[in-house]
Amino acid sequence: MHDPTAAISVRDLQMSYGDHVVLDGVSFSVTTGEVVALLGPNGAGKTTTIEVLEGFRQPSAGSVSVLGADPLTAGEHWRADIGVVLQSWRDHARWRVGELLDHFGRFYAPYATADRPRPYPVDELLHMVGLAEQGRSKVISLSGGQRRRLDVAIGIVGRPRLLFLDEPTVGFDPMARRDFHDVVHRLSDLEGTSILLTTHDLSEAEKLADRILILNNGAIVADGSAEQLARDVAGTTEVRWTTDGQRHVHTTDDGTAFVRQLFEQYGDTVSDLEVRRASLEDTYLAMVADSAIVAAERIGS
Amino acid sequence: MSAARTALVTGARRGAIEFRNSLQTPSDIGYYIIGNLIFIVIAVLNRDAVIDGTALPTMLFIFPGILAMQLAFTSTYGLATLISTEREDGTLLRAKSLPNGMTGYVFGQVTRTGLEFFFSAVILFVASTILIAGVWGNGAVAFVALLGLLVLGLLSAIPLGIVFGSIFKNPRSVGGWGFFVIAGIVVISGLFFPITGLPIWAQVIGQVFPLYWLGLGLRSVILPDSAVVVEIGESWRTLETLGVLGVWAVVGLLLAPVLLRRMARRESGSSVEARRQTALQRV
Repeated sequence: MHDPTAAISVRDLQMSYGDHVVLDGVSFSVTTGEVVALLGPNGAGKTTTIEVLEGFRQPSAGSVSVLGADPLTAGEHWRADIGVVLQSWRDHARWRVGELLDHFGRFYAPYATADRPRPYPVDELLHMVGLAEQGRSKVISLSGGQRRRLDVAIGIVGRPRLLFLDEPTVGFDPMARRDFHDVVHRLSDLEGTSILLTTHDLSEAEKLADRILILNNGAIVADGSAEQLARDVAGTTEVRWTTDGQRHVHTTDDGTAFVRQLFEQYGDTVSDLEVRRASLEDTYLAMVADSAIVAAERIGS
Repeated sequence: MSAARTALVTGARRGAIEFRNSLQTPSDIGYYIIGNLIFIVIAVLNRDAVIDGTALPTMLFIFPGILAMQLAFTSTYGLATLISTEREDGTLLRAKSLPNGMTGYVFGQVTRTGLEFFFSAVILFVASTILIAGVWGNGAVAFVALLGLLVLGLLSAIPLGIVFGSIFKNPRSVGGWGFFVIAGIVVISGLFFPITGLPIWAQVIGQVFPLYWLGLGLRSVILPDSAVVVEIGESWRTLETLGVLGVWAVVGLLLAPVLLRRMARRESGSSVEARRQTALQRV
């Protein structure tokens, strides 16, 4: 059974194309108002997961509930509550930025409620994503980063209850990235929007998300806040030292106990001691490297 | 306003904005100019010609044919190309992500196609008034009937454009095959010479498609009654014309939404991304 109060609830989601298994039993949930990052290397199944939740793809097996409905059969009311940030390419190139937002916004007007006025006023929206100067520009004249901000604006023009962001900051410069983070915080803090975003960038997930799900090879391998993950996933400590000119490396779960024992055993002969707790980043990078090797082998075979 | 009505009104606005955008794009304006320039050149060159064995000016016979062909190309070939282009570039996926977005998209395409065709038609009307003597000889009622036929023609052809646009995978294949198919249909539809001059098998195939009937209907309101002698059975067959165009319109309007929904169901960000990668590699 799905928790009816959850914004997203996924149980044992499976997806395969022929023999190729993309998702192998993914389960997680997102509570209302929560910002969750789906983190993982390329090819981990992030986009497939998000497309199933958006109702754009039919899963091979498993059950999915988004805002209390099955995305494949939910109606237009449900669609009005969902915001999707798509990657633009060359669609609507001849449209003016402000006109395009106004046009898309009109579809949401019949779904306005007292607590959720729809659509977002275009000027406010342009200001929020940093395109106030470009309202009258044609879409084709925007830079890559500006276009991406327009994608974000289109995704939130209907003031969604739940927002999906697939790799939102690819191609952003650091400034645009910070502005975008402000937008996400504003949406979740002031509007109570639940947000699910995918990224392969750990630092972005740490900055934005209340909770991080790490997806690797089609399965969730870690689920928790950045602090929890740092404790649970990382956990291990690496100790390096030298005795009698000989260099040693040892990995342990309890660095303090190991070092105490080390000194008890070898005393003054221990030198060049280094104790380093593996960070979440180390663990994640190791994971990315593993899947890069797997991918390289797949291409090579 | 109900959500469905909002989608229709917003879709119509969309069509109007896209038409305006088209008028602001040099390549599109060039297309309008060249298309109509060809007609003007033909009209000037043939101003004194008559159809063999009759006193009927050739241009008076060709004018309805040009109108019908223009309609067929704009609302079938042009629309199909645009829909498959917009599927490839993600426009359709955006429509799908909006509440009632597909309704708005389809209504926008219908509006834009109608505006584009009537824009060209007005240019043709003006040019033919100047260049073809007696072109409006049948009076005001005939002109209203002409406009009505053009609307019926659009209703029978636009769903075909939507169907072809949703069948072909990308605009390149519409461009290749679609062009030859439509050009072939134009030839066997007797738009520029009497269909009775074609072999019987070609006449039979020609009469299956709505284009022959649109051409016949337009000739019946533009040409003098005496011109009926070059038609099949020496009759304008008005009831048959309305019947065949009506059947095509109804079948198309029933079929088009089903095919569009089927096409839209398969759209996702990654399928757009995959096509984007293929298209970029080709460039």
